[in-house]
Amino acid sequence: MAVEVKVATFRDIFQYEAGRKGMHSDEYLQLSAQILMDKEDMASLGVKDGGRVLAENEVGRVVLVARASGDKAHPGVAFMIESPWSHQLEDDEPCKHGALGFRGISATVTPSQDNVTELAEIVQRLKE
Amino acid sequence: MTDYNYKSCTGCALICEDILYSDKEAVTQARNICRKGQAHYQSLFAERTKPMIEGREASLDQAIARAAEILKGAKSPLIYGWSNSSSEAQAVGMDLAERIGAAVDDPSTYCEGLFMEMVLKGEVPSCTLDDVRNYADTSIFWGSDPSSSQPRHLSRFSYFPRGEKRQKSYEEERTCIVVDVRESPTARLCPNTTYRVGPGEDVQFLEAILNVLEGKIPKFGDKKKMIELGSVLKKTEYGVIFPGRGIFPSLQDKMELFSDLMARLNEVSTFKAIPVAGGFNTRGFNQLLLDRTGYVKSVSFQQDNGKIIHRPEDSLAGAAKRADALLAFGSDPLAELPVGVARALAKVPMVVIDSCRSITSDEARVVIPSAISGLEAGGTAIRTDGMKVSLEPFMKTDRLAEKQILTRIMEAM
Repeated sequence: MAVEVKVATFRDIFQYEAGRKGMHSDEYLQLSAQILMDKEDMASLGVKDGGRVLAENEVGRVVLVARASGDKAHPGVAFMIESPWSHQLEDDEPCKHGALGFRGISATVTPSQDNVTELAEIVQRLKE
Repeated sequence: MTDYNYKSCTGCALICEDILYSDKEAVTQARNICRKGQAHYQSLFAERTKPMIEGREASLDQAIARAAEILKGAKSPLIYGWSNSSSEAQAVGMDLAERIGAAVDDPSTYCEGLFMEMVLKGEVPSCTLDDVRNYADTSIFWGSDPSSSQPRHLSRFSYFPRGEKRQKSYEEERTCIVVDVRESPTARLCPNTTYRVGPGEDVQFLEAILNVLEGKIPKFGDKKKMIELGSVLKKTEYGVIFPGRGIFPSLQDKMELFSDLMARLNEVSTFKAIPVAGGFNTRGFNQLLLDRTGYVKSVSFQQDNGKIIHRPEDSLAGAAKRADALLAFGSDPLAELPVGVARALAKVPMVVIDSCRSITSDEARVVIPSAISGLEAGGTAIRTDGMKVSLEPFMKTDRLAEKQILTRIMEAM
């Protein structure tokens, strides 16, 4: 079972607030390490709201908590709050103007039994 | 009775100047502050940085001396951050970049930077937020969500206030339009004038607007709704587009389409653009870089002579991957950059000037604690619409301002 999604990232005031208090807090982890998905996509994966999924592409991989987005139907599109977790899936190809081009994220999402990727693990990966 | 003083908030690029703090040794009350401003204020009580070298506490003098040593010895240093620092700190930082031959870049390079460049170079018409409050009858939030990123945008300027020519405001005279990939908090305010586009579909949406303005049937989206949008735009007296980060993935290689749209809209009415900047002084940095170098992105200075270099390989990704040292201030690059760039930076000696603990400060070779701009350190900044704002500190601290730290690093060289 797998779903191919395009992931759009966004900023969230509550996650910003949690980050200002401390990026190592549980609150920041909970708000950042999640992917908001279409209900039908979650159903096709057999994942319930709050279940864990692996999102991966050629850039990286992270285990996240899947949440139903609450938006109108958006099959094949998922949302993540911009964070070190979303950046694990983002490429860094510059656009023709020289700006760092977030060309959008494409990822494969599958159910996972692994623990949600911790911030410490992400930092460790950066040093490898 | 509590006495209040007006202060500016550096929580976002609106830099609200109407924040009332109780005028006491310790602030006990604040009025008019938004949730984001309050979160920024809470930074005062977050885990604050201490001078560190190689993970061990050091004196401030030792940290500054070590930072100077690292930066002086680097052959391809990168200075990244800038956008949450005062204009005065940015100016000294630019002197330092010139002196050590550094590449420079800020977070707007992957957000609204290209839109800001168009505005700063006069390629698209712009206006102030006060003009928006007084005259705008149509505000288009395209790939931006001010309810999250600039929380008082709608209440102070673009939707709710009764401006000089907009006394009937949102009830009758103002239309709020949202173009977004998701149902953002701002979109929920105007469900009937929200246009959902898929990732990467903004170009088709833009072309559909051009079609309806020409009286043609649009090839994208709900045709009826697109034609309705065309009518709103044609009837607009004073429209403003607020492009944000969300539009960037679609338009980054086709920015000329945005100026084409602005030109076409200005044939039928008056339309302006104000990018929704991320850091409180993003525009200040963009303006400074343009003034000093003639460019807004992909700039580095040549070692020995400070000559300006502007090449595609001087983009942030290129500069980060060839960097042999990093100076970060007003930012947390390991937390906010794509993994490839962050990984490259994590492998080089990093000097971090920051007020609070961050992911980058945890991994830095040298950490230099700083005062928080606007709360503990003064100066000036440029609001997202280009207005210069004075920052007056209201919290006492023995921490140095970023400007002082950068000056001392240069002196130590």
